[in-house]
Amino acid sequence: MADSPVVLSDVHKSFGAMTVLDGVSMDFPAGQTTAVIGPSGTGKSVLLKHIVGLLEPDRGEVRVFGTDMARASESARYAVRKRLGMLFQDGALFDSLTVGENIEFPLVQHRKDLSSTKRRERVAEVLKMVELPGIEARAISSLSGGQRKRVGLARAIVHSPEMVLFDEPNSGLDPMTSDAIDQLIGHLKRSLGITFVVITHDIVSTVNIADRIAMLYGGKLVAWGTVQEVLRSQEPVVRRFFSRNLVLPTGEGEPSLPGPQSG
Amino acid sequence: MIDALSWIGRLGIYCFRLFWAVLRYGVPPRRVVEEAYRIGVQSLPVLLVINGFIGSILVIQGYISFAPLGGQQLVGMFVGLAGVREAAPLMAATMIAAKAGTEMASQIAVMNTREQVDALEVMAVNPLAWLVGPRLLGILLVMPAMTTIAIVTTVVAGWLVAQFQLGLDGYQYFLLVQRTLSPLDLMVAQVKALSFGAVICLVSTFCGFVAPRGPEGVGQATNTAVVVCAVISVSINFLISQVAYGG
Repeated sequence: MADSPVVLSDVHKSFGAMTVLDGVSMDFPAGQTTAVIGPSGTGKSVLLKHIVGLLEPDRGEVRVFGTDMARASESARYAVRKRLGMLFQDGALFDSLTVGENIEFPLVQHRKDLSSTKRRERVAEVLKMVELPGIEARAISSLSGGQRKRVGLARAIVHSPEMVLFDEPNSGLDPMTSDAIDQLIGHLKRSLGITFVVITHDIVSTVNIADRIAMLYGGKLVAWGTVQEVLRSQEPVVRRFFSRNLVLPTGEGEPSLPGPQSG
Repeated sequence: MIDALSWIGRLGIYCFRLFWAVLRYGVPPRRVVEEAYRIGVQSLPVLLVINGFIGSILVIQGYISFAPLGGQQLVGMFVGLAGVREAAPLMAATMIAAKAGTEMASQIAVMNTREQVDALEVMAVNPLAWLVGPRLLGILLVMPAMTTIAIVTTVVAGWLVAQFQLGLDGYQYFLLVQRTLSPLDLMVAQVKALSFGAVICLVSTFCGFVAPRGPEGVGQATNTAVVVCAVISVSINFLISQVAYGG
């Protein structure tokens, strides 16, 4: 746990009479990809919002890089967030800005030491990493769903964060685009070597990209371990969740990267 | 009643947090100018049309009222009192609330729905300072100018009707407008303008932030913003006029 950038201790959260998180304790190991899975409405996104400090637990503690996010001052919370990147479900890109301006945004805000030329070079670099080179001038409204995710991902990694959080990276995408996004996450995971937290209910995606799996059900952590450990779990709810159309990867060869401007 | 009080309380806390955020994080001057330009350009055409008609109708109603008494030339005084002191600043505020205020409410509600406000937070950017600060300073910058334009439009439109439709002496009209008004009246109009501007921005953006997420919430934010802005602006107008002219 000492190396874990995120440690959750007995986290409880309710909205009115509805309990969403019921005593969740876990950590997210550094440098690994942890997929938080579970059926819709089991508190996965709520858990993510606790990690970034958008929600505070009713009880318990969420420590990110050693900072208690609920009790920290705003400046301390912001200091932690500068070390994070997050891909939102629909990208959460600003419609009034171009693709390039959206990606440059965190650098403009927090990297005053960088010249505009350096910033633009970095934007071009991350756009190349997400396989969308040269689209800086495009309007957000002209992007497809998959492209929005990629641009959102470029914005999440532009400031070289120590950890990237993904909120349902495959939601609303067709299977081919979804697969391309998985491959891109896998590629970034290998090239950046940083901690990834992926919220998903996509089983295939989970098996493709995760090192570890945490499964939430009814607000409780019902499974937590390496991919193989969780797949072998005898917990009925875990077996039922994974029994749906799961084809395990053969492990032969590496998935190829998606083509330029696809998806 | 309790809901209304709770809403007012939350608006008060919101204003406090906004001022604190603006003081702490500052506001980029370029964005203030952009917002001021947008609010001004957006609202100017409708402002000119509405205040033009307000000036015209005041002159016609003044003429109908004063002519039987032989005081038709007093329409200039009537436009000065009713138009310049009250109607022009209030109509300017109403039009800016209808155009710029509703846009602020809907933009922020949409951004909230699309998680763009959360994205700002996660990128360690204070949403109040970033989204509301420039809009507040922009509207405060532009409101006095817009109110001045509204006043001039009201007076000039009234003169056109008085001179060319009713056949009154245009010089007398302007003379009476000028004699009716004092520098204090123009200062009061600017105080009203700044108050209306602050109310429009604070209420509209607050409505955007607290609206439920989704298309219904966007409609609700816009609707609430324009209604509350109108009610508060009219109330503030009454209070300021009461203090300035109530005796």
